[in-house]
Amino acid sequence: MLTQTSNRLAAFIRPITESAVAVAIGLIVGAFLMLAFGYDPVRAYAAMFVGAFGSTGGILESLAFATPLMATAVTFAVGVRASLFNIGAEGQMYIGAMAAAIVGGTILMPAGVHPIVATIAAMCCGALWALPAAVLKVWRGVHEVVSTIMLNWIAFWFVTFLIRTYFGEPGRAERAIPAVPTARYPVIGGTLTAVIFVVVIFCIAVTILLWRTGIGFELRLVGDNPEAAKYAGASGSRAILTSFLVGGLAAGLAGASQILGRPPSWTLYATLGNLVNLGFDGIGVALIGMIHPIGGIFAAIFYGGLAHGGRFMEYNVGVASELVDAINGIIVIALAMPEVIAIIRRRRES
Amino acid sequence: MTPPPAPVKKIAVVSDIGGRGDLSFNDMGFKGGDEAAKAFGLQMVELISKSEADYVPNLETAAKDKEVILTVGIGFLLTDAMIDVATRYPDKDFAIIDGYVPDMPNVMSIIYEEHKGSAIVGALAALVAANYGYSHIGVVLGIEIPPLWKFEIGYKWGADWALKWYETKFGKPAPVIADTPVKERVLWTYTGTFSDITKGYEAAKAQIAQNAVAVYNVAGPLGLGLNQAVQEYATPRGLTQGPPFWIGVDANQDWINPGFVLASMMKRVDRGVYFATQLVVEGKFRQVVADNKGVVILGIGTTISGVEITGISVSTLADLDEFIQMGVNAEQLTGKKVLPMSPDEIKSKVSAMRSSIPSWVWDAAAELENAIRSDPNLVPYAGTQEVVDQWRAILG
Repeated sequence: MLTQTSNRLAAFIRPITESAVAVAIGLIVGAFLMLAFGYDPVRAYAAMFVGAFGSTGGILESLAFATPLMATAVTFAVGVRASLFNIGAEGQMYIGAMAAAIVGGTILMPAGVHPIVATIAAMCCGALWALPAAVLKVWRGVHEVVSTIMLNWIAFWFVTFLIRTYFGEPGRAERAIPAVPTARYPVIGGTLTAVIFVVVIFCIAVTILLWRTGIGFELRLVGDNPEAAKYAGASGSRAILTSFLVGGLAAGLAGASQILGRPPSWTLYATLGNLVNLGFDGIGVALIGMIHPIGGIFAAIFYGGLAHGGRFMEYNVGVASELVDAINGIIVIALAMPEVIAIIRRRRES
Repeated sequence: MTPPPAPVKKIAVVSDIGGRGDLSFNDMGFKGGDEAAKAFGLQMVELISKSEADYVPNLETAAKDKEVILTVGIGFLLTDAMIDVATRYPDKDFAIIDGYVPDMPNVMSIIYEEHKGSAIVGALAALVAANYGYSHIGVVLGIEIPPLWKFEIGYKWGADWALKWYETKFGKPAPVIADTPVKERVLWTYTGTFSDITKGYEAAKAQIAQNAVAVYNVAGPLGLGLNQAVQEYATPRGLTQGPPFWIGVDANQDWINPGFVLASMMKRVDRGVYFATQLVVEGKFRQVVADNKGVVILGIGTTISGVEITGISVSTLADLDEFIQMGVNAEQLTGKKVLPMSPDEIKSKVSAMRSSIPSWVWDAAAELENAIRSDPNLVPYAGTQEVVDQWRAILG
């Protein structure tokens, strides 16, 4: 009884200590990098932290940067749970964003309904874009890394084409038509909108799906031990399909969040510049969040803090913005390491 | 006990996604900020936008800082973010380059008469074609957005003006290019991109193959693609200078490939930033904004509230040093080699190229510039689709 409790305690404490050590390593390596270039790391980190979380405005902005990452982290996490390396969030997010802009910008609807309809459309289109990779995996055994990378590029150019050809804003060819005011989520402050609640609820829903339903159990079983899953009569195909579709819904939601829930542009740029990398960043966030949708929420807030707080390292301490990116990258890699090692360990074992 | 020193006042410069090191638009903004900071004892703070999501937080970071007396946004892409932040910080002063935000008491929109500068480089290109016996001149543009029409129509109009000037001056039509039908003299390509350098290369290569003597860069970084196309033509033929040439934009880009850049249509973003800062320092900012309904236009011989300020000019040998320094700064910043050769070699190559072109070509450009000064409406301003269509019907 006592050992069971202490085992549980250990299981709880171990990842936290691992993360703490990882944060320390990341910060120290970043500090050495700054020292090498003649900046004061203590002042720089303080500027970043205070900038990101030291004021209401800072917190709101960090949360705004975190919102899409919470969703794209789910795409990767739900893939890993089914033993997939799904890196297709990027392209599925583009498609979702385009769908959100089309429904939000060209169709008239009452205020309360419009954002919901546009968000659902975006999520469905995201899932639709995940389908080819799922089908190729299940029926032809095509590795998901190959198919999702290709689909990401197809999505990029397809959406670019749509904006340039059909959905550009008249007189503002650099971007697509913006979502009309009825389709926009209400602004909380800065560039944060109520879409964050939708994303958090979605993350909770995915958690429930994974740990409280039969289909979620099957998905995790297939991911943990495909042989045992087969023996237990679980359907690998169904698990893989579910994982891809849930991931697509998440990525589509991430896209919608940047169109219907991010002022001041409320649309996507023809370069997709306001979306690019949010899908890939979700991979890092998912790893920091220990491949768990709820962990991803906190990891995304941390990541959002880096994204927003980084500018204060430059603004207050003069650290060059390229170096800020490098430091943030080091911190993220250090934080992601424990989970990467865990995944490799699990793969080796199975 | 001595009181702490008064904090230094700041100006904040927020880049668009082009960021620092673009050697044109954004770097010009930082250059102006630097010069103003030095002149007025201020500190310049930079905020680089890595993505469009950074526009609002970057502007807001500057607006919140009590020491910041002016926040400048470089580029019309920041327009929406500027309106948003300036509305929320009505006590702070803002300026936006190329944006159009009229009738806000605290925002100065600074726009430029690019059509006039484009007309002058169009005239230069057409006369250089006449001098070397080429049948065409070219222009490579970015995405077809209204701000680019000014460049296109201005350039075509300038070429047309120059060929008429030649006929009056020498009593005969210009050789070769005047034999090309009017509507085919200027080859023009909208590439649909401001970032894909390959598209610039392909467009310029096609134009050079069609016997264009010079290709005007109206697509920012695509200039490097134009340069590549020119160099690719020149190298196997052992050319040490143009033709073919390309024509720079925004900054003085003549140093990027000395001898092969005919001239640059300079858009003095630096002077705009400097001017706005000066107004804030002198306490005249809001008055000037109000007097001009929020929008100041800088061009050739323009006067803003009684002060003459030139925003558009064609590059000369004299201002090359200033811009070679920009390349030196970029080298320090990126650690990469930017300057193609030593500053002295650059100057002597540019100088040799310029003196190999007969003086009547340069005189004609100067004459057009004077004509523009005395008649501000001389060069057509193509701001709407109707005007563009009307001029395309005449000039192709």
